[in-house]
Amino acid sequence: MNPFLRHATRSPRPFPSLARDIQREINHALRSFDGAYHGPRGVYPPVNLSESGDGYVLTAELPGVSPENIDVQIEGSTVTLSGHRKVEYAAGDGVSVHRRERQSGNFRRAFELPAEIDLDKARASHKNGVLTLELPKSPALQPRQIEIETR
Amino acid sequence: MSENQNREIEAREKAEVLTEDTRPGLLFKPDVDILEDPEAFMILADLPGASEESVDIHLEKGILTLDARVADPGGDSRPRYAEYREGGYHREFRVSDEIDAASVSARMRDGVLELRLPKSAESRPRRIEVAAA
Repeated sequence: MNPFLRHATRSPRPFPSLARDIQREINHALRSFDGAYHGPRGVYPPVNLSESGDGYVLTAELPGVSPENIDVQIEGSTVTLSGHRKVEYAAGDGVSVHRRERQSGNFRRAFELPAEIDLDKARASHKNGVLTLELPKSPALQPRQIEIETR
Repeated sequence: MSENQNREIEAREKAEVLTEDTRPGLLFKPDVDILEDPEAFMILADLPGASEESVDIHLEKGILTLDARVADPGGDSRPRYAEYREGGYHREFRVSDEIDAASVSARMRDGVLELRLPKSAESRPRRIEVAAA
């Protein structure tokens, strides 16, 4: 089984109203789909979402975050990314920092996609600091050819 | 190194580098940390999407140039929502003459470049023994 793809269990949310606010923001953004660059939301990590064939592809830029520190949960049509980015140095005697632009901290983002996801076929991969989620739509939503029986 | 542990991170917009260029595509200025210890300078640069092979590091006349390309994923997917743009990376650093250019080393880990620029033997701190008269 994929190490960092886990099916969500229903757990009490620590900050229900905050989660709802974030969800509303995201839903609003997702409704204004036009493929254009929307600019930064100030929320980490930045993500892109595209649609192809029978599903969605969500990518997130997470340089310096190893897969063990990324948690992906899918519940219905909601995808949640959370984890921790740790910027650490081999601290020792006489190490001085001239410039520090890279940040450490926790992150948690939830996305409500326009359709339910097929949990069994969802895949996550991580390469060169970019997380890619392949999220096929639930089979009930995919177009199907109906065979006509002849009698 | 624990002061930032529980702080939420904010995404920063990638700063675009404007160059007189004949090559199409966007170039961004990567976020970096620069450190120094008695033996070397270290540069850590966030280059999400760049592979080891795509990174080019050049040191000439005291200017260290970092370039990286990010491959276009291709495919026929339709963008639905975007918070970041994809493109290469470019940044220049002025480095002092004390760098030993021949022993500069680099490696990539999870989209982060770790550059080590050792100081030349003459410029490392040395302990001078005082000879007894």
